[in-house]
Amino acid sequence: MAHVECRNIRKSYGGHEVIRDFNLSVSDHEFVAFLGPSGCGKSTILRMVAGLEEISGGDLMIGGARMNDRDPGDRGIAMVFQNYALYPHMSVRGNITFALERAGVAKDEIARRLGAVVETLGLGAYLERKPTELSGGQQQRVAIARAMIKTPEVFLFDEPLSNLDARLRGHLRVEIAKLHRALKTTSIYVTHDQLEAMTLADRIVLMNQGRIEQMGTPEEIYTRPATLFAAGFIGTPNMNFLELEAAEGRLRDGVLDLAAPFALAPGKVTLGIRPGAVKLVAEGDPGAFPVLAERDEFHGETRLLALRSGSQSLLAAIPATVRIAEGERLWARVEEAAMHVFDTGSGMRLAA
Amino acid sequence: MRQRTALPYLFLGPALVVLVILAAVPTIYAVNISLQNRTLSAPDADYVWFANYLRLFSDDRFLNALWVSLKWELLTVSATMVVGIGLALAMFEAANARWRAILCLLFIIPVLLPRVCAAFVWKFSFHPLYGATTWPVRALTGETPDLLATPWGAMLAVAFVDVWQWGLFFAVIILKLLESLPPQPIEAARIDRAKGWEIHSFITLPMLKLPLISLVLVKAIESLRSFDLVYVMTRGGPGISTETLDMYAYSQGFIEAGNISYASSMAVIMMVLTVVMFTTIWKRVQK
Repeated sequence: MAHVECRNIRKSYGGHEVIRDFNLSVSDHEFVAFLGPSGCGKSTILRMVAGLEEISGGDLMIGGARMNDRDPGDRGIAMVFQNYALYPHMSVRGNITFALERAGVAKDEIARRLGAVVETLGLGAYLERKPTELSGGQQQRVAIARAMIKTPEVFLFDEPLSNLDARLRGHLRVEIAKLHRALKTTSIYVTHDQLEAMTLADRIVLMNQGRIEQMGTPEEIYTRPATLFAAGFIGTPNMNFLELEAAEGRLRDGVLDLAAPFALAPGKVTLGIRPGAVKLVAEGDPGAFPVLAERDEFHGETRLLALRSGSQSLLAAIPATVRIAEGERLWARVEEAAMHVFDTGSGMRLAA
Repeated sequence: MRQRTALPYLFLGPALVVLVILAAVPTIYAVNISLQNRTLSAPDADYVWFANYLRLFSDDRFLNALWVSLKWELLTVSATMVVGIGLALAMFEAANARWRAILCLLFIIPVLLPRVCAAFVWKFSFHPLYGATTWPVRALTGETPDLLATPWGAMLAVAFVDVWQWGLFFAVIILKLLESLPPQPIEAARIDRAKGWEIHSFITLPMLKLPLISLVLVKAIESLRSFDLVYVMTRGGPGISTETLDMYAYSQGFIEAGNISYASSMAVIMMVLTVVMFTTIWKRVQK
């Protein structure tokens, strides 16, 4: 088990710099998820940690030793790939034991470790099959077994569940969580799926365009997004953003007129409100503002209501039992604690 | 429905007729001649049925040709594959995209050369007095080595030209096959502590097993038709040490005795052997 540290890591292709001054410290036993849209550099960093991608500058430390120039096999890591990357001509058994055979581990030791891993992942019935004879979920389980048997210092996951269908994804996600709880191996998990990041990770590293946008526990990032990007990326359905003008303790746009949650310098602000925080109230309720119901989407548990107030539109998630006619005039209210205020120009969160 | 089933025959018909005329007619004609005692010097002939075939098996020169052909097959096929795989791996590991493109272009040129031309070029190059390849030996020792005058020297020299043409070409094909492989298993193997050569012997080459076997078969069939190379470079010599089956059949039929029936029986035996051998190998591989 080990501590992973990235110090000022840079990556450039030719003259084009894609990652600049990336600093991150993952402590022992920690499960860190890199979350971000495609092309944000999260996979590139993972591949640099794995040694599959050259590091252009900075230091990568694993367990206190500098790894920049070590071969992938000598870094004490194991990796699970998005498309499984199994050896197609080998049986499941051959796939799982390949690394131990290369490392010259004794036969009975291999058999012992194989037995344990196979039991954990329930692969006993498939040992002699070829990867092509297995389903996607089973193949990814073999890939996880192949990584596990090496008892690595660090587990690297590169979007391991993205190629699976929704049901299997949920199932395997729970299995990965259980495995981590049992093994406690330091893990870095790359994903573009916020649900996976939120449920698995001790800490989320939210990335955008090669930089860290925000770092923190899933709860921190959800409840206190540091930037507009973080606010918009995390949470389903997406956060509502209202462009308003702050002045004299009020947030206004000509039609809307809300009380500011805290004292704000005059200027343009973006108010972020999660759909779940928009409450429908009776007329005359303090802080209520008039809205027009434009569209009503039934989502099972909840109903997603598209509301309009002047030029601004926002979504409200309300219990599915409440029935609203499209075109109906309503009153809505938002708790001050549920208001996220961002500076429109810089995109940074404003706090009291 | 009737029309739909008849249509393919309409389109295939003309092509099949051409094929039958080109392939079946000479084959049947050869089989027919092989059952007679026809020579080029006499206009008439009688049916001797299987006498030619029986004679073959007591003909030492035929048995020698059979042995030479077998040696030739094993030598050229294995050398071509070794050279092809070796060069392809070297390019895959060491050359960047630009160098790969340049090398591939160079490696394809020899196979574009007609065999006869390649044979003449190298025959002259091996010439004891004027050849370019023999020049260093001449310059250093003053001797005039005649590679084509020794039995093994001749065999290896002819095989060299064959591998020069096909080994380099196969290197290009195998390089393209390697490039077409998905990169992730190779990356996984690197993380699994496989060293450079281990990645290829355990991962990439086994992944290419089927295409490589197909290449072996293609080369084996191609090696059987090396008549022009042998004819130009050695004419089966020195003595009969490089006389392959087709070379011997040709000399029986046209150079020496004009024994056209005897030569035909050899050709028929070659055809049967080839068909039987390759179908069994192919069936094995398919399993």
